[in-house]
Amino acid sequence: MNSLLTALRLAFRAITRSALRSALTALGILVGVASVAIVVSLGRAATEQVGSRIQSLGSNVIYVFNRSVAKSGARGAAGTGGGLTEGDARAIAREVPSVSQVTVYSDVGMQVSSSFENTRTKVVGADVNYFDVRGYTINGGRNWTPSEELTRAKVCLIGTTAAGALFENMDPIGQTLRVGKHPYRVIGTLASKGQSPFGTDQDDRIVMPIGSFRARVAPSPGRRVEMIMASAPPGSESAAVRDMEALMSQRHHIAEGAEADFRVRSQAGFQKRQAEVLNILSVLLLSVAAIALFVGGVGVMNIMLVSVTERKREIGIRMAIGARASDIRAQFLAEAAAIALFGGVLGLALAGGLTFALSAALGWDLQLSRDAILTGLATSVVTGLLFGIWPAARAASLEPIEALRHE
Amino acid sequence: MTDSIISLSGVHKDYVSGPELVHALIDVNLEIAQGESVAIIGQSGSGKSTLMNILGCLDRPTAGVYKLGGIDVTESSADERALVRNRLIGFVFQGFNLLPRTSALENVELPLVYRGVSRRRRRELAAAALEKVGLADRAGHNPSQLSGGQQQRVAIARALVTESPVLLADEPTGNLDSRTSLEVLALLQTLVADQGISLVLVTHEDQIARCASRILTVSDGRVQRDEPNPEILDAAELRAEMG
Ligand SMILES: Nc1ncnc2c1ncn2[C@@H]1O[C@H](COP(=O)(O)OP(=O)(O)O)[C@@H](O)[C@H]1O
Ligand SMILES: [Mg+2]
Repeated sequence: MNSLLTALRLAFRAITRSALRSALTALGILVGVASVAIVVSLGRAATEQVGSRIQSLGSNVIYVFNRSVAKSGARGAAGTGGGLTEGDARAIAREVPSVSQVTVYSDVGMQVSSSFENTRTKVVGADVNYFDVRGYTINGGRNWTPSEELTRAKVCLIGTTAAGALFENMDPIGQTLRVGKHPYRVIGTLASKGQSPFGTDQDDRIVMPIGSFRARVAPSPGRRVEMIMASAPPGSESAAVRDMEALMSQRHHIAEGAEADFRVRSQAGFQKRQAEVLNILSVLLLSVAAIALFVGGVGVMNIMLVSVTERKREIGIRMAIGARASDIRAQFLAEAAAIALFGGVLGLALAGGLTFALSAALGWDLQLSRDAILTGLATSVVTGLLFGIWPAARAASLEPIEALRHE
Repeated sequence: MTDSIISLSGVHKDYVSGPELVHALIDVNLEIAQGESVAIIGQSGSGKSTLMNILGCLDRPTAGVYKLGGIDVTESSADERALVRNRLIGFVFQGFNLLPRTSALENVELPLVYRGVSRRRRRELAAAALEKVGLADRAGHNPSQLSGGQQQRVAIARALVTESPVLLADEPTGNLDSRTSLEVLALLQTLVADQGISLVLVTHEDQIARCASRILTVSDGRVQRDEPNPEILDAAELRAEMG
């Protein structure tokens, strides 16, 4: 124990003596350890965060998106009112038996005001089934009625974030808010759902009947909508996807094999894609880590070999006064590990910064977990030890008399 | 001579130097008693350092037997030899051989590190050893901040901190001026007198050799003469006379 501490002390002294050289070599270890730490953090995020958030979209939701087709340049990009219509949604509800509920969806981000505050939020036009399909709970007030939907009533439901911004602690129900120049009465509040897997705040929204939305917020000719969402009972998702694709192809006159102007995707499909993306990212990062650690390790080995050569006389002196081969080996192994650890600590700092930036960019609650830190530190130490074996063995195998003769 | 601390019998050392075989030591027989101080003199290349390296367990004889403190160390393993060097031998080299960028105190501590002595005890013993060589006030200085004489005194402190019975000094004054040489030698003489250490000292200076109790002359790898010194010089006195 005593001699281990001594070896570590020697190691740190050797490092501080050639800080620049050590830092340069540590760069490889740094990048490698940062990659490893991020992979560990991502893995946790993948299992804990993404899974639960995809659930938060509502269970078993199937989405139909607009899709811009390359050959028809006139069509706008997805989400700008392409080909999907309210009629499509009604047809799905009518003709696809494996679907239980269907809703349309359009949104626009805009300034909304109450008599106290104003805020920028997402204004959503949907139909009465929206809350069921997406798994929102109405925890105060009520949903709108079919007649309110038909008459394009100026009513809306509000999420907690938007409510907080507009009404602070007041009960929003019965309050009036303005979207553009039109007043809307808040008739219901939505229980908080938190962030979506895409990083958007699912509580920062105002939801109104699609008719009201189209009439006064964002007119769309032909009753176009941005998205159709359907819920399917567990087990029937794939049938629902297939049937919806068939029906939509028929309604949109898509020939067999031709590119469709829509895209049907189930929640399971999202989950799979998310997992795929994360897997690719992990494999990529691990490859980077492997290469960087190898480069860093070779750097450590290089430093240590130079160090052994430069310090032959020191080794000779130590041997003359009683150091055994194992003492010399321990000293150089500890130095190699310490150099690598130095790089590892810097790498963890980088990983901390990167996960912070990634969290902000993706809206994930990504953190450098304790596991990631421990794995990173262990990775660097093991790399140092592995690549230190040869130089340490060389130092330990010197004959005292040969080492002492070295000038 | 059963009470010898050092005992060489029939020791040979050959070096392979290119196509030639150099006989650096030829049939050396030598007994050194505890508390003796032996000066080894001889021309350059006569084999003095080779002999010292064998005595110090830094090198092995090609033939013959070396017993140190009654133990045959000729065939012992590398680890055993390391232990012997640590426990029984103190070295003082011509070039001081202190670790650079390492304080005097830490240099003196070093043999104790490999003995597994606790840090606090090491500090105490090293400080006491530096005190003995008169360098207590330089404990924190690195070798580069010390004069040649001071560096050699640090090296002597390092050799005596382990209380080893044998002190081997290969031309310890070779890099020092005559005044400093005498000061270092006076220190060695005190150690021999006070602590009963056996001192083996290589020198090419007549005056230095005459400070030892026995003088050994080596020539072409053989011990040519081995006789007691009838009139042992006192290095401290000589130094005082120089003013
Ligand atoms: N490592 C070595 N390889 C080959 N020859 C050596 C080696 N060391 C010493 N010698 C030779 O052995 C002889 C004795 O050398 P050495 O013991 O160093 O003499 P001294 O110390 O008396 O000057 C010399 O001829 C020298 O050239
Ligand atoms: Mg010599």
